[in-house]
Amino acid sequence: MNSIEKKSQIVAGIDVGSAMTKVAILETKEIIAQAMSPTLADPRLAVKLALEKALQEVNLSQNDLGFIVTTGYGRRAVEFGNQVITEITANAKGARFLGSPLGQVRTVIDLGAQDSKVIKLNENGEVIDFIMNEKCAAGTGRFLEVMAKTLDIKFEDLGEFSLKSKNPVKINATCTVFAESEVISLIVQKKKREDILAGLHHVIAKKIADLARAVTPKEVVFFDGGGAKNIGIKRSLEEELGLKIYVPEEPQFVIALGAALIASELLHANARS
Amino acid sequence: MANEVVMFKKIFKKLKEVELKEKGFEKRYPLKRVSAFEKKEEFKKIFLEQGERNLELMQKIPNRAKNMAYFDEIWKLEKRVKEIEDFRKAGGKVIGTFCNFVPEELIYAAGCLPIRICAGFYETIEIAEEILAKDICPLIKSSFGFKLVELPYFSLCDLVIIPTSCDGKKKLGEILSDYLEVWPLELPNTKDSSQSKEFWFQEIKIFKKRLEKLSGNEITFSKLKKAIELCHLRQVVFHRFDEIRQSTNPLISGRDALLVTQVSFFDDLRRWTEKTKKLCQELTENIKKNLGIYPAQTPRLLLTGSPIIWPNYKFLNIIEEFGGIVVGDTFCSGTQHLYNPVEIDEWVMEEMLKAIAERYLLPSICPCFIESNDRIDNLLQMVKDFKIDGVIYHQLRLCQLYDLEFYKVKQILNRENIPLLRIQTDYSQEDIEQIKTRVEAFLEMIKSKKYEFY
Ligand code: SF4
Ligand code: SF4
Repeated sequence: MNSIEKKSQIVAGIDVGSAMTKVAILETKEIIAQAMSPTLADPRLAVKLALEKALQEVNLSQNDLGFIVTTGYGRRAVEFGNQVITEITANAKGARFLGSPLGQVRTVIDLGAQDSKVIKLNENGEVIDFIMNEKCAAGTGRFLEVMAKTLDIKFEDLGEFSLKSKNPVKINATCTVFAESEVISLIVQKKKREDILAGLHHVIAKKIADLARAVTPKEVVFFDGGGAKNIGIKRSLEEELGLKIYVPEEPQFVIALGAALIASELLHANARS
Repeated sequence: MANEVVMFKKIFKKLKEVELKEKGFEKRYPLKRVSAFEKKEEFKKIFLEQGERNLELMQKIPNRAKNMAYFDEIWKLEKRVKEIEDFRKAGGKVIGTFCNFVPEELIYAAGCLPIRICAGFYETIEIAEEILAKDICPLIKSSFGFKLVELPYFSLCDLVIIPTSCDGKKKLGEILSDYLEVWPLELPNTKDSSQSKEFWFQEIKIFKKRLEKLSGNEITFSKLKKAIELCHLRQVVFHRFDEIRQSTNPLISGRDALLVTQVSFFDDLRRWTEKTKKLCQELTENIKKNLGIYPAQTPRLLLTGSPIIWPNYKFLNIIEEFGGIVVGDTFCSGTQHLYNPVEIDEWVMEEMLKAIAERYLLPSICPCFIESNDRIDNLLQMVKDFKIDGVIYHQLRLCQLYDLEFYKVKQILNRENIPLLRIQTDYSQEDIEQIKTRVEAFLEMIKSKKYEFY
């Protein structure tokens, strides 16, 4: 394969999220590399770092990319992309592509750092409705991050830790600020941390389920975003919705993957025209 | 028996008298006025700047009709304010109105000038919140703020008429009555029962009498006929304008269309009709010359929900700058404001008044009435007529009526497979990024449906 042909086959999807920037590189619809980098205050730098990391893995340079689609809240911060797409469309695309062993995906729930969203798909996998959380941080990853600090548990360990709980505490507040003080008073009352945590997972799951109900979700629910790695939330959400939920292997890359898939479609569409 | 009849007649007469009483606010507990008058110039400047910013975007639209230039100029206060001031100096009365229930025909016939003062300006909200409850919709707060800073056109009004539509409007009247004369116009809660119609008809009759008293001009048959005809002509032109927007080759942006409509809130009736007619002629030419403003495949959107009012066009800017076009709306501040003409069967005073009463009540799709069916009919009809790809439900935060109607509208549109997006927002700029994501995603969803793409 000569280099021009090779280039035309390789595309990238870049998901500039509020916390993490993720990159997926595809060659003829096959993931060949992915990487991420914290977005922090500089989305441009994050994109550069994540993209370099991913390209290095497969010994390529940016010039080898035939098409780049950017998505996520910082989607317009990337100057060199060929097309901008919203995370809704990208997410649906990624989820549809990965599918689920539990049956056809009809709902996608994404729990990101700063927002959560629910996408409804029809039998053909097309987006027919979607909803995103309102301004506040309740029901997003940020909420859990704050709580992890308050409880002094590592963010990555939250899920497993909560499984130890036998007696989840009922937490009333959904606002991040109020919930934090409620958690502090529970700690003072010597409640077990795993029980508090399980209660918090329940709060988030309830918030997301409320959001999801607005679009009348159907099975199978495809659960992704960084938050989907938390097994505690997945279980609470299953309970709350009463629907089968599937979490893909690397839930935080689904949107970047979707963007890359769209990139490869657009590449071919352009090549044809 | 005979006695009873007499008594009954007496009671009935009494009832009639009570019914025909002019409604107003007695000044039993007058309050001290709060005024932010000193800030007037500052606010005026910001108001004009915001408008300019909208215009900058709108003027960049390719193939924009040249006849829009008139509308671009006239909202800038200066010219029209001067005209209205002169009108007042000559003894004319200016009547501020809210909503779209106040019969303009009668106002014109009395030689007065109606101006709709529902406002869409963010900056006057904060000062209004010193007095009005924080948790009411921005439209009401913004409008009231105009009075506090004495900004045109509110500052030019001799009195204000407030229909008792939503709760916010109902209560605004009493508060405003400390600032200037306020006439409440009492609406029934249903439209089509005979009691409602009769009640509303009486209300209109009282209104006529009051106008005569206020202006010192009798509303004669010929004056009223003239006013009805003038407004009718305007509506005819507006119908043509609305029809043009049905063209599958988009000829005018939703922003321009709304600006044209909203200039009619305060502009000279004859001149507006003339200018809009010219605009329609140009647009008709443009159809022949195939001078569309956006590509023909641009997703065609219908807006419904709480009114959008100049200069708060942030939402429209987002939609149209990101590849959609608003081809129709059901706003009381848009199409609904001018759509329905008074239809006269018989040119006699009583019938004319009846026709006026009907025109302002029956076609209304305002959510302040107990049923939303007419609004849904209207939506579904427009989806067909305007070849709509998706409906956007604009809901001003804290507007309960539109919030409550959402559920039913959503179920019906879902059933008809009409894509629907709800945006809850206010007049501030802080949620622009969130709105962008939602609108863009909605447009992508429509495009993928239309072109099997993504
Ligand atoms: S929707 Fe009804 S109550 Fe609200 S401003 Fe319009 S006419 Fe008035
Ligand atoms: S937007 Fe809603 S709350 Fe505000 S004036 Fe109109 S109907 Fe009333």
